[in-house]
Amino acid sequence: MDSLILLEGVSFRYEGAGSRALDDVRLSIAPGEFVGVIGPAGAGKTTLAHTLSGVVPHVRRGDFYGSARVAGLDTVTASVVELSKTVGCVFQDVESQFVTTMVEDEVLFALENFDVPRDEIPARVDRALADLNITDLRSRGISTLSGGQKQKVALAAALALAPSALVLDEATGELDPASSVQVFGLLSQLRRERGTTIIVIEQKIMLLCAYADRLLVMDQGRVVIDGPVRRTLEQPDRLLSLGVNCPRVTTLAARLREKELYHGPPPINLDEAETMVREAMA
Amino acid sequence: MIRLENVSYAIESRELVSGVSLRVGAGEFAALAGENGAGKTTLLKLVMGLIKPTGGDILVGGASTRGLRVSVMARTVGYLFQNPDRQLFGATVRQELAFGLDFLGVAKDEADRRVGETLDLLKLDPDRAPTSLSRGERQRVALASLFVRRPRILLLDEPTTGLDYRECVQMMETVSRLNREDGVTVLMVTHDMEVALDFAPRMLALSGGKLLADGPTRGLMRDEALLKRASLVPAQMVALARRLGIAPGEADDALSLAAWVERRAGVNAKGGMPDAGRP
Repeated sequence: MDSLILLEGVSFRYEGAGSRALDDVRLSIAPGEFVGVIGPAGAGKTTLAHTLSGVVPHVRRGDFYGSARVAGLDTVTASVVELSKTVGCVFQDVESQFVTTMVEDEVLFALENFDVPRDEIPARVDRALADLNITDLRSRGISTLSGGQKQKVALAAALALAPSALVLDEATGELDPASSVQVFGLLSQLRRERGTTIIVIEQKIMLLCAYADRLLVMDQGRVVIDGPVRRTLEQPDRLLSLGVNCPRVTTLAARLREKELYHGPPPINLDEAETMVREAMA
Repeated sequence: MIRLENVSYAIESRELVSGVSLRVGAGEFAALAGENGAGKTTLLKLVMGLIKPTGGDILVGGASTRGLRVSVMARTVGYLFQNPDRQLFGATVRQELAFGLDFLGVAKDEADRRVGETLDLLKLDPDRAPTSLSRGERQRVALASLFVRRPRILLLDEPTTGLDYRECVQMMETVSRLNREDGVTVLMVTHDMEVALDFAPRMLALSGGKLLADGPTRGLMRDEALLKRASLVPAQMVALARRLGIAPGEADDALSLAAWVERRAGVNAKGGMPDAGRP
């Protein structure tokens, strides 16, 4: 299948920076993939997200090398506005993304400015607010919300646009545990129902492993591991050396393997872990 | 150490905290969890005296926060904002740490000694500019700037959000050491149930401004109805232990679960050979 996102030898150095934030990144993501991105602070994860949205190099300037294409658009020649019709982004610092002061206006704003047919708009706003369980916040001022509630508003605004690709850069950090699970469930549903390509940059390794089908591990501007989640988890020591933890179920599998009670692949979720333990005890 | 008596806080006729009563003793480590908008940060700000209750009373070290200025509170209580950039303004890490002591009027010799000790303890480079550090490092500088004042209580608002795994471990081990070795009382807002399970023996669950539950973290993570009401999800190994019918507290982490499986595998193996080991 053709790539929705294709990065060929992309390197980027921020203006005034000594080293490259991205260093020869080669990456192809097909439509409908759910990709998790993890790595230590300073690995280049946010710069990767900014490259897909066009913020790099249009807003955050610097030396850009290589080629990045998103849905056929060259991110260097296409405008940020053009790119934003294809790629919806939610970043960790939601405060800097809000353009209005009221919850409903924030979701409306993007729809009204992105050529969405007028008669579709009310239903889309309702659906996005309901999906994030924030219908009751509809008329609230954004400044009166908690950090987690603000993140939900930013996610609702991005979801309402139904972009071809969604990029979440640590956008669930302030969500309560049940809401984080719910957002990952929503992303899975979007992928299933609309074929949305999902790219999630996260430190929540357990959720990434339970929902993503592919994991990219970044370090010092490079993609150092790129593969199916389970295969990536088969190298826990390498992950740890890169500052990435494994889900606890994977750690348990490693312990059971040491005791020669388990010989199968690492589990990636609770269901698989339960099966593993029952087999180990049998 | 911290005592809340029927505390409420309302703003523009919306009640953010209602009728909360609780006590946290000296040297305790308690996690404060609950859904977004539950009132966790508000409760923390109330304890710090950054805002005053509209009902009830809060006593910190025996004194009501109503009559205390924040600058006085800061002598005994350290408040770590979720975003470290809200509390960092020094040109270097050393200046950042020294500022608070200067403000409190600590003599220069004593101040230098404390800054040196804290730099060592938290493994920080004194000459770096806080702005040049990663988020996790800035978070630790912010913690250091509190700790240098030797607070008896630390109020932490989601101290690990936005940190990578290594930074998270460093942050939490530092806090844990201050709690264990120096007896510092810790009240920590967190959404990370693994962190809560690993570090906080006690959990306070808040929902809609009310205190829903207060008890051992391991026990509360088994309470399905509570988890649902407070939008919590149990730590992964607790959830697995529950599915396997393991009694609460018996095996809640990967190591003890592996040992439990090993014992059960041994029993089952013997069960399969009824005569094994018999004379």
